[in-house]
Amino acid sequence: MAMVAAKQKELKQHEKDQEWWWVAEKTRSNRLDYLRKAVWKKGAVGGAYNPGIKIDIERPLLFTEGWKENDRDPQMLRKAKALANVLEKKTIFITDQAQLVGYGGSLPHTLQWFIEGASIINEEVYNDAGSIPEPKEESLKVMAELNDYWGGQTSIDRLGRVLAPEDLVKFMSGVIGWGVPSSAYGYAGKDYEYILTGKRGFEDIIEEINNRLDEAEKKTSGNPGPDILPLYDKMLNWEAMQIILEACINHAKRYARLARIIAENFESDPKRKEELLRISETCMQVPAKPPRNLQESFQLGHFIQVFTRHEAHEGSMSCRPDYYHGPYYDKSVNIDKSLIKEEAHDLIGEFMIRTYEIGLFAPRWAREGIQGITGTWVWTMGGVNKDGSDACNDLTIAFMQAARLVRVSNPTFAFRWHPKVKDEVMRECFECIRHGLGYPSMRNDPILIKNAMYWHGHPIEEARTWVHQACMSPCPTTKHGFQPMRMASATANTAKMIEYALSNGFDRVVQMQMGPKTGDPRKFKDFEELFQAWVSQMEWLMNILVRTVNLGRVKDPELFGRPFLSAISERSVESGIDVVSPIGERGNCWVTFFTWVENVDSLAAVKKLVFDKKKYTMDELITALEAEWEGYEEMRLDFVKNAPKWGNDDDYVDDIMVRCLREVARHSHEIKCPSGNNWPALPENVSGNIHYSSLVGALPNGRRLGDALYDGGISPGPGLDKKGPTAVLKSCSKFDHVKDGRAFLLNQRLSPTQLAGEKGYKLWSAYMKTWADLGLDHVQFNMVDDKTLRAAQKDPEKYAELIVRVAGYSAHFVDISRKTQDNIIQRTIVGL
Amino acid sequence: MTTCNECTNFFPIEDDSSQGDCVQRVVDPKQAYYKAKPVATDAEASKCDQFKKK
Repeated sequence: MAMVAAKQKELKQHEKDQEWWWVAEKTRSNRLDYLRKAVWKKGAVGGAYNPGIKIDIERPLLFTEGWKENDRDPQMLRKAKALANVLEKKTIFITDQAQLVGYGGSLPHTLQWFIEGASIINEEVYNDAGSIPEPKEESLKVMAELNDYWGGQTSIDRLGRVLAPEDLVKFMSGVIGWGVPSSAYGYAGKDYEYILTGKRGFEDIIEEINNRLDEAEKKTSGNPGPDILPLYDKMLNWEAMQIILEACINHAKRYARLARIIAENFESDPKRKEELLRISETCMQVPAKPPRNLQESFQLGHFIQVFTRHEAHEGSMSCRPDYYHGPYYDKSVNIDKSLIKEEAHDLIGEFMIRTYEIGLFAPRWAREGIQGITGTWVWTMGGVNKDGSDACNDLTIAFMQAARLVRVSNPTFAFRWHPKVKDEVMRECFECIRHGLGYPSMRNDPILIKNAMYWHGHPIEEARTWVHQACMSPCPTTKHGFQPMRMASATANTAKMIEYALSNGFDRVVQMQMGPKTGDPRKFKDFEELFQAWVSQMEWLMNILVRTVNLGRVKDPELFGRPFLSAISERSVESGIDVVSPIGERGNCWVTFFTWVENVDSLAAVKKLVFDKKKYTMDELITALEAEWEGYEEMRLDFVKNAPKWGNDDDYVDDIMVRCLREVARHSHEIKCPSGNNWPALPENVSGNIHYSSLVGALPNGRRLGDALYDGGISPGPGLDKKGPTAVLKSCSKFDHVKDGRAFLLNQRLSPTQLAGEKGYKLWSAYMKTWADLGLDHVQFNMVDDKTLRAAQKDPEKYAELIVRVAGYSAHFVDISRKTQDNIIQRTIVGL
Repeated sequence: MTTCNECTNFFPIEDDSSQGDCVQRVVDPKQAYYKAKPVATDAEASKCDQFKKK
């Protein structure tokens, strides 16, 4: 009794001190506590992997073995057989106390390596000394042989041979964008309406494919004609889809077998034996057949993510878990009552942990750009049903509660707010934010549904199914609406637009003529000349990235191939075409705009101090910028302090933002994806503001080469929003969140003291009402004070589960670089 | 010659006598787990440091 009372007292003190990570540890079940601490963290810290994390060589070895054995097969079939070889022979494992199984690597501490993707990344793998598995000498020998075999043969190697040489060189410079234009490394949506609505398992799809094969075989044995010619390739693709689905079913059965072996031969605890036999039963059921209960539904969902990550380095996880698994939660908890709520929380928490543990080797630039995590697993919650009614359910609430217990930085949640969301759900969202998770981010569902319909023509019922394709952009989960390949390389370092407008297109950092020659800026006579130069650089930058990505997209079936993703996509099963082919897809592209607000603040600064006040000449400004502001500190501070800045409800600079966005929107309608659809822009940053800090030169907003760029999207520069949160919202409301771009990321930092208790909830609710009334599409919150963050910098071991919102994702504070930590601390804490 | 099927870690596949799983217990710095790898029944085991005769 005394111990229980002491524990309660300790808990209350942690709550009072807002040490939510300790509250979580002391409140969650023993199982969740074990599983949470069992994870080998795969996110890189300051660009380097943690000690003990090793590359998994099994997949490249087994994939290459299968690839070599089938060298006469076309791409998709060859790929399917190589993947089947991996799934049949790789090592699998079941963690103690786990109820869900499946992992991409062979062992818990390993990172997946996709050797067929890009030789430049394969070389990085070889040279990542700390990640080479023991025995090192032997591993390096094997890796060298693998790299030698694949050199020149990877997807990116082959794409490089067809890209225009100038585009290739500029793209590979690393200063204008990032990512590689191959589905080997990208963000794939899913046709969840086909695969996760309980209507079919993999055996049902195999039967559908068999029927199509039978039909095709009859036609190709009949009268010849042009209409039967495409069927020959399709039959091979269908065969590939069958092979991979069967391999996946058999792979799940391997787990069923292992669970049974452990139960019958090793496990003495009767309760654990029972759990293992349930795991066995689960893996015999899914993915072969549709799920029957919550555990099977989660296992199917997890298997889909595991299998898709055997096929490609998928850097996002577009999904809507409360919507698709909700009916099974209802069945297991409310109807059959086979699970009590606490047991369901264990499953939900573990479902999140299984995602948190995903490990994919990423090149250094990606690790610096997305620090502390291995991919942006943004899970979409809430929203509406296809008929427009509220889609929130008991599982929505249960996810929010479980998130506060397990405190993983990834997955994070993004909540689709709409006017009919119940107060109890909003309170759960607020509690997650108040507990310092940095999520859910809040999305304005009515705005984003209209946005999806406006930019890409999705019908309203399809638009309503939307999930986050990556961090921010909506994507339907339907047959023609979902996007199977979104390459991160449609990501622009947009600060280069203003930099090149002021340098006649010359990049001082890489010493190359990158953008078009838009005129000697020293000779610009008025703001309009500068602005038109900026427009030209903007168009050039969007064009070069989109050209590259469009070509990568249409070549991808030939150069890479996605048999598994095709096999779980209705249009692909129907057509026999690789799902990455744009045929049959409506189109859902966007260009991510990193480092966006620098353009606006810089243009405003030049307009004010050079052309309006005539305090400096263009010649003086360009001289100072070419010197990277060195020796011009007084002038630099003038540009920092005395030029208007975005986010202060000041029309002088806000009008420039609107004008810039509208020029981009105009051009977005002019450039088309392979499906003939638009390419709207989406300002957000991940941690590109840190990665690009040494690649963007001095700018007229007062920034020096090497300074961190602003933290994201349409967020004001750190400390530059001086007029309070409502002013920020008002600035952000001056453009149209439907027509002026795809979506717009806004970071806000709130005071944990101000937002304590019921009063805090009411303040936040009022703020959210203003946000919604002003028509903004996104906002996300950090709610942790400077004192805690500084303490975590000093004693990171005591703050392992302290989470911060970085940009379109959250990370554990101790897992991000010092520079990024300081950048977050610099963000203004707004009082509501 | 010592073969895998003589080891306590070897579990034959019921409908394929030529194959089985090698199941081992691992305790690493973070977690404990059981792992399994497919092996041929008559695979050479004399150099395996995990071999335990039945």
